[in-house]
Amino acid sequence: MFKAFGFVKRNLSLTHDEYRAAHAGYHNSFGRRLNNIRGYILNVRSNHELSSAYNGSSVLEKITIAEPNNFDDAWDGYGQLNFDSYDDYISARSPSLDRAGKHGLEYDPMVAKVGNDLEYLYSGSPFQFCVDEAVQVPVIRPEKKLFKLAQFVKAPANLSPILFRSYIAGKYCSALSVMPGLRGLVLNMRTPLDVMSGFFKPESEAFTDEGIVRRELFYSTWDGIIEYWFDDASDFFSGRADQSLNPYLAKLESELFTASFFREVDETVAVVPNRNPPVDFYFR
Amino acid sequence: MFKVFAFLKRNSELLSHDEYRAGHIGFHCCNSRRLTGIRGYIVNVWANEGLASKIGPGYKDIIINEPTGFNDLWDGFPQVYFDDAASWKKATTIEPTRATENGLSIDPDWTLSDSGFLFDPVDASLKEFKSNHLKMDEEIIIPVNRPERKVTKIIQFFKKHDFIDELDFRNIMLSSYAKKLSNMEGLKGLTLNFRDHDIDSAIKGFYPDTGWHFSKQGNYERSQFASLWDGAFEMYFDNIDAFKAGRMTSSLNETLTALDRKLFSSAWYVEVDENVIIMPNRDPAPDFYYR
Repeated sequence: MFKAFGFVKRNLSLTHDEYRAAHAGYHNSFGRRLNNIRGYILNVRSNHELSSAYNGSSVLEKITIAEPNNFDDAWDGYGQLNFDSYDDYISARSPSLDRAGKHGLEYDPMVAKVGNDLEYLYSGSPFQFCVDEAVQVPVIRPEKKLFKLAQFVKAPANLSPILFRSYIAGKYCSALSVMPGLRGLVLNMRTPLDVMSGFFKPESEAFTDEGIVRRELFYSTWDGIIEYWFDDASDFFSGRADQSLNPYLAKLESELFTASFFREVDETVAVVPNRNPPVDFYFR
Repeated sequence: MFKVFAFLKRNSELLSHDEYRAGHIGFHCCNSRRLTGIRGYIVNVWANEGLASKIGPGYKDIIINEPTGFNDLWDGFPQVYFDDAASWKKATTIEPTRATENGLSIDPDWTLSDSGFLFDPVDASLKEFKSNHLKMDEEIIIPVNRPERKVTKIIQFFKKHDFIDELDFRNIMLSSYAKKLSNMEGLKGLTLNFRDHDIDSAIKGFYPDTGWHFSKQGNYERSQFASLWDGAFEMYFDNIDAFKAGRMTSSLNETLTALDRKLFSSAWYVEVDENVIIMPNRDPAPDFYYR
């Protein structure tokens, strides 16, 4: 599947929690209607201070490597979009035939604008990029809010991107995948494919010199994101304290990462990703 | 949790079944997923090919007195979850969810005014639509765990024999029938729902007293629909073959079929396409906006 992440910084007229309401509320309501969308998830940075909020979370200090300063100033949340293809993604922002009206089913132009709230919801444009995904443990969601983590990792300058991906997927994530309580583990490598042009208006902040600098600065701090889903925070922290696993993980981390740091995110499943072939009727 | 099934027939003058899907899952849910206090929201639409056709001749052996034209009475049924009845009744008191030039605001364009075009209207004015909103008393037999793909969901509707006492029936269903059913191989989730006998329990305080639902005709039509069934199982499988293997060709088949005849005056199955609008969250609500 084609998969894109879009990191966003809230409009400064909104608090973080107001931004949540507007993104998970109004904005997702339109985003989930994008034409041919196959999955849509919003991850909002948690209000919890991860290093102190949970029993055992002091272990975080030991497993963090070179966390960038003020990293959270650059984002409040990130969305995930799944489509069958790049072409479907680019054509998704068009009026949707999904509104009942006096003439039957009618087109709604507001879907092409994704609610037309971007300038009030965000500061500048999203940092949107295509990810090369490796599903290490397929995500299974129960009917409750899961504990979800995003681990940002950065490769050493002298390691090729292909080898970096191969080592993380093949060694590091394989080792992680045995952690008790894990309900999903997905590796996402950021790719250089341009998925901004054609999706955002040419006059968007993303295409200005300042916008490019802002985005590149953010990208310079990490190369990939490992997403974890657990029933409970204690599953992760007890797993990372387990001495049968952690010496090996620590060794890999010291070899593979020049930076590695964690954030808890609150996940809104706006459209459950459907990795099966599409059905021949409207389905979300 | 407070759980409601709302059986809805499309406006068949304006929409085909597949057009109804798009209108309901698309624009309508764009608004209804922002109902205040909603904790879970799923829309089930009957599958385009019936189970009798998918399963073949064996289907008639596992059903009892399926009401003729049952699926003509509805096209889809949302199931919504709230913390309690009070939250449900206040759900259309809309909260701020839209970023505007004035910060976080109540969305002035929020509307459910498509309902008359989307659902079966009471009359040509399209101001009201007919629905069967029914409060369900839920028992989770096997918790639902959803993978990242479309699952096969089958609803088993059942109506108890008149001669079985209501309380006895519940006890048997919970202690015996559901337990046996839960042994079906390939089952990924199983929920038992008893329909509240008061057909007004989901709509008192939600719809106006003067509306169609509480009119003589409305009450008659809703009573007729509710009288067809007393409860429903929601069953989740990977595919229809898994259901066939679990229900029809396994060693359980004989036991379940015998129990069906002992307990039910009617029982039948409908496959639905499940659209997860809001993943139900059965944990306490967090202290921030969450869907």
